[in-house]
Order: sequence, then structure tokens, then C-alpha cells
Amino acid sequence: MSSVSLERLRKRYRDVDVVSDVDLHIAEGELVVLLGPSGCGKTTTLRMIAGLVQPTAGHVRIGGEAVDHLPPRSRNIGMVFQDYALFPNMPVRENIAFGLEERWVAQERVGPRVDAMLALIRMQAFAGRYPAELSGGQQQRVALARALAYEPRVLLMDEPLGALDQRLREDMQREVARIQKSLAITTVFVTHDQQEAMVLADRIVVMNAGRIEQVGTPEQLYAAPQSLFIADFVGRTNRMPGEARECSNGVVRVMLRNGCEISAKAAGAVRAGDAVVCTIRPEKLRIGPVEGHRGNTLPVTMRRRSFLGSSVDLAVDDAVGAEMLVRLAASAAEVPASGDHVLAVFSLDDCLCFRSPAA
Amino acid sequence: MLSVTGRVIPPAHRAYDAALLLAFIGSALLFLVPQFFFIRQSLLANIAPGIVGDTMSLDNYRTIIADSFYLGVFLRTIVLSAVSVAFGLLLAFPTAYLLARIGSRLVRWLIVLLLISSFVSVVVKVLGLTLLLGTDGPVVRVLRALSLGFWDVRLLHNDASVAIGLVQYTLPLMVMILFGVIQNVPASLEEAAIVHGASDWRAFRRVLLPMLWPGTLAAALISFNMNMGAFTSAVLLGGGRVLTVPIMIQRKIILETDYPNAAALSLLLTLTVILVNIAALKLRPHAVMSARGG
Repeated sequence: MSSVSLERLRKRYRDVDVVSDVDLHIAEGELVVLLGPSGCGKTTTLRMIAGLVQPTAGHVRIGGEAVDHLPPRSRNIGMVFQDYALFPNMPVRENIAFGLEERWVAQERVGPRVDAMLALIRMQAFAGRYPAELSGGQQQRVALARALAYEPRVLLMDEPLGALDQRLREDMQREVARIQKSLAITTVFVTHDQQEAMVLADRIVVMNAGRIEQVGTPEQLYAAPQSLFIADFVGRTNRMPGEARECSNGVVRVMLRNGCEISAKAAGAVRAGDAVVCTIRPEKLRIGPVEGHRGNTLPVTMRRRSFLGSSVDLAVDDAVGAEMLVRLAASAAEVPASGDHVLAVFSLDDCLCFRSPAA
Repeated sequence: MLSVTGRVIPPAHRAYDAALLLAFIGSALLFLVPQFFFIRQSLLANIAPGIVGDTMSLDNYRTIIADSFYLGVFLRTIVLSAVSVAFGLLLAFPTAYLLARIGSRLVRWLIVLLLISSFVSVVVKVLGLTLLLGTDGPVVRVLRALSLGFWDVRLLHNDASVAIGLVQYTLPLMVMILFGVIQNVPASLEEAAIVHGASDWRAFRRVLLPMLWPGTLAAALISFNMNMGAFTSAVLLGGGRVLTVPIMIQRKIILETDYPNAAALSLLLTLTVILVNIAALKLRPHAVMSARGG
């Protein structure tokens, strides 16, 4: 297992930098998720690690040594593609054995290794089947086995679960995590699904427009997003635009567009007079009035409730009609009826204030 | 009025079906009736130029098959066609691969150029080749100059020039067919092969080629069939010295006015092509392979 280092990586197509200034160090055995919307450069970055794309500038190091001049097959990596890319003219066994055979592993060692991989993905009975005879989830597991058969230093995964339905996707996420942990293989996983990132990642790298916006554990990104983009992208949040009135000791007094004044924690430098957006997570809101609450309150009108099993989502409108989401535990005392005027309450500590991005 | 399945067919459908049936019958008659007379002609004896006997027999066929001269012509035609297909594939493959894999807008223009070139009359193209390959043409002069007079080759009016002409004849079609076939193979398959340790050649042999094989076979057979029937390239580039079956057929009609034997030769040519195709289709793999499974 090896570490992966990306140093000032840049990729330019015509006059657009699809990836710029990417600096990242991934430790041995770590599972790092590159997360971001379509076109943010995460797949291009992954393909530069693989060697399928040549960087315009910067270096890729695997295990400390620069691999920029090495073709993909010499980098000792395994890769799972979005469309699995199983070889349709070979049965499962041969697909898995491919990497071993192409690297001239001794014949008598190939068989046992393939058997071990089949056991790892729990598909021993499918060894002779062809990819066309397998379901999506099964193909994905075979693709994973093929990537791991040669014991690569790094495992790369390019949105491998995108084509699966929700239930199967969650099962496969657990499967991937289990296998990754048991092999302790350095893994770089690309996805646009923040839920998936939260489930799998040791650390998440959020990318936007070719750049890294923030790197951190799922907890860090959720609780302390460094930009409005991240607050919005990782987990759900409510956005409340307004203007900063005064700012001291990291606390900002904000006059919201809906007419209410609240206090929030400043995320980054905020000055009086700035146009700002405050964020509050749905599960940090409660329906008041609440005993002994000395934080922020917002008058809202109840619209719709959605029962989700373990929680209840309330869609409410604030004073100017902007929709907000409140998430309560399913065991919450009373859920207001549609049309009721209630108070949404939240504490200063849970509310972040960001400077409005340039229009 | 009920259909085969017992469902009632509305009147509009009935008129449509009737019209299609008429069109089919018309086309079938237009094809089959001349063939019938053609086959009948080949069974009659040629008494004098332009005059044909009444009794039907297989004599024409017997004469042709028994004659080693005719067999030689057939063999030469088959060999020339096959060799041209082989060279055509060697040229078409890399071209089609580049066109299919390079994603730039230039590709669209190149394909348009390719299609336009195939609409140009074959006579014009072959005459162009004649100028190019002639004794005082650019190719010969360059070869002579490069070898300091040692390589004074004749590139016209021999088997080689006919083969070159046949390649030129079918190359655009082969590129287009292979282009379509290669496009259907996802690039991720090649990438998967390369990432997991295969060299470019091994990736081609183990992954790409098996998937391209049915399409390549189709392109090869179509080109072979076209080559077997090619007249213009053979007659203009062969200069009278290279005899292929189409040229023989033309001579029988124009020079000897021997319609029955010309018909017999044509039918034997058709039969040969059909037999070669049937034999070649045995090479087609039976395993069902789709690029995307599940």
C-alpha cells in the first residue's frame, strides 16, 4: 500500500483550466473521496493519478516516487470504472485474472489468487458466467475484484455506484467499505453524491470548478464548512440572506431579508455592511417557543410535513415567503398543522454566517 | 378482415399492407424474371455470334470448369480480391481507430471528405491512379531518384496495380464500417485493459479485436464481394494483361458476342462469391457478446 501525493496539479484544455492548483496528500490505507458537482475536475484528477490523462503541470507521486513519466500499466494501480468496463468476451474468472496474466504472474499462482478474490466478493458460484449474464451490482463486484487481484498500491474508483438503484447502492457502499478496510488499501473514490461521501470517506476533498475548496473528515465538513458552497453541498442546509450589522469576536449580528435580526458565528472574515448568507441545518431547528431559549427566533408559517421514518421534515415559509426546512425527530412532541404560525428557534452556535459570493 | 393473430385490421392498415405487398411483388419480379432468363440463356448453346440454340444443357458450364485457363482466371480473381481486402484492412484499421477515438471536431470534416471521395466516379479515381503510377508518373520517378536508378519499377498494367486499384475502390467503405464498429466499443474497456497491466498490443489482441471481429469480418466480406465484381479498376489498371472474371465476361459479350457463355461465367462468379461468403461466415463466433452487460 502506498501514499499518493498530488503537487500543484493542473490540467488545461484549450484555454480552460479544468483542474488547477491541486495539492493533496493521501496517507497509506486511507479512503479519500473526491466530491463535487459535475465538471468540477474530480474525474480528471483521478485519471491523472491513473496516468490516463497527462497533467499540464504538477506532479503525481505514488509511494513517494514521481510517476508522471510512467504509463498506467506500470503504476501498479487498480481502477473501477463507472460502466464497470468488464471484458465481455471473457468469463468472470478470466476478467479477474486479467491483471495477473498481463503482468506475467506464474500460472500456478493465478488460480488460487482468483479463487481468493471470488471469495472476497462472495461470488464463487459465478466464476464461469459472462458479464452479460450478471446484474449491475454483480458486475461492479467483479470489477472490484479485477482491480484488486494484483494487489495494487492504490485503488481508484470513478463513480462506480452511479448506475445502481438506491437500495443496492447503499449495500455496495458497505461492501466497498468492508473490503477497503480489510485490505487497508489506499483508495481514491470519486462521487457527486455527498451522502455516499459521508458514508465511505476517512476524509472528503470537496472540489469546485477545478479547485479544492476544503479537505476534512465528514464531521469537520459538516460542522465547520469554510464556504457557502460547502455548507450547501455537504448535507442539507437553510440559506438566509441578509446584511451584517455588526461583527465582534467572531459573532455577527445580521439583519435578514425576512426582517428578523439574528446572531451567527462568522465563517471567515465578515465586516459590517457586507451582504451575507446565514446557514442553519434543518435538524438544528426546533419549533418553539422553547423553555429557557435565549437564541434566535424566526416567525414562520407551517406548510407541509413529510414523514421519513426516523425523522419528520417540515416545510415552512418565513416572513417573506422563502421556504425553509425543519427536521424533527419522529418522536417530536407536536407537529404544527398546515397554516399555523409558529416560531423556529435555533442557537447562535449552530448558525454560520458567510459573506455573499460575488453576484 | 382479420389478421393472422385474429385481431381486426382497420381499413387504413389494409390499404397500407396491400400497397407494400404490391411493391414487394414488383421488386421481386424485376429481380427474378431477368435472372430466370439469364439462367436459361446460360443453358443454351452458342451457335454463331449472336445466334443462340434451342436445346438446354449444362455444356457451357462443363466447358468452363474443365478448362484450366478459366480456372486460372477464377483463381487470379479470388487471390487479387483477397489480397486487396487484406491490405485494405491494414490501412483501414488504424484510420478508423484514430477517427473513432480522437474526439476533435476535425473528425467530422474528415468523415465528410471520406464520404465525398466515395461518391466520385470510380473511372475518375482509377484514371487518377493511372497517372500516379505511370512510367513517367511521380511515384516511379521518386523511387527511381531515391534508389539512384536501381529501382526502375513498372507500377502499371500488372497484378500489383490492379490490387492497388481494388484497395482504393473499397477503402472508404471499410473505414466507415470499422469506424462504426470501433465507436461501439467503449473507450473505458481499452482503459481498463491498460490500467490493469496490458500493453497497447495486448489490449488490442485480448480485448478490442474479439469485440471488433464480427464487424471486421463483415467489412472484409463486403469488400471481397465488391472486389470480385470490380470491372473498371481491373480493366484500366490491368491494361489488358491482367485477366479477371468480370473482364472475361465483358470480352465474351463485346468481342465474341457469346451471350450464353457470358451468362454461365456470371453465374459461376456469383456461385463462387456465395460459397466464399458461406465458408467465411463459419469463422463468426457464436458467443453472445454485448459491450454493456446486465
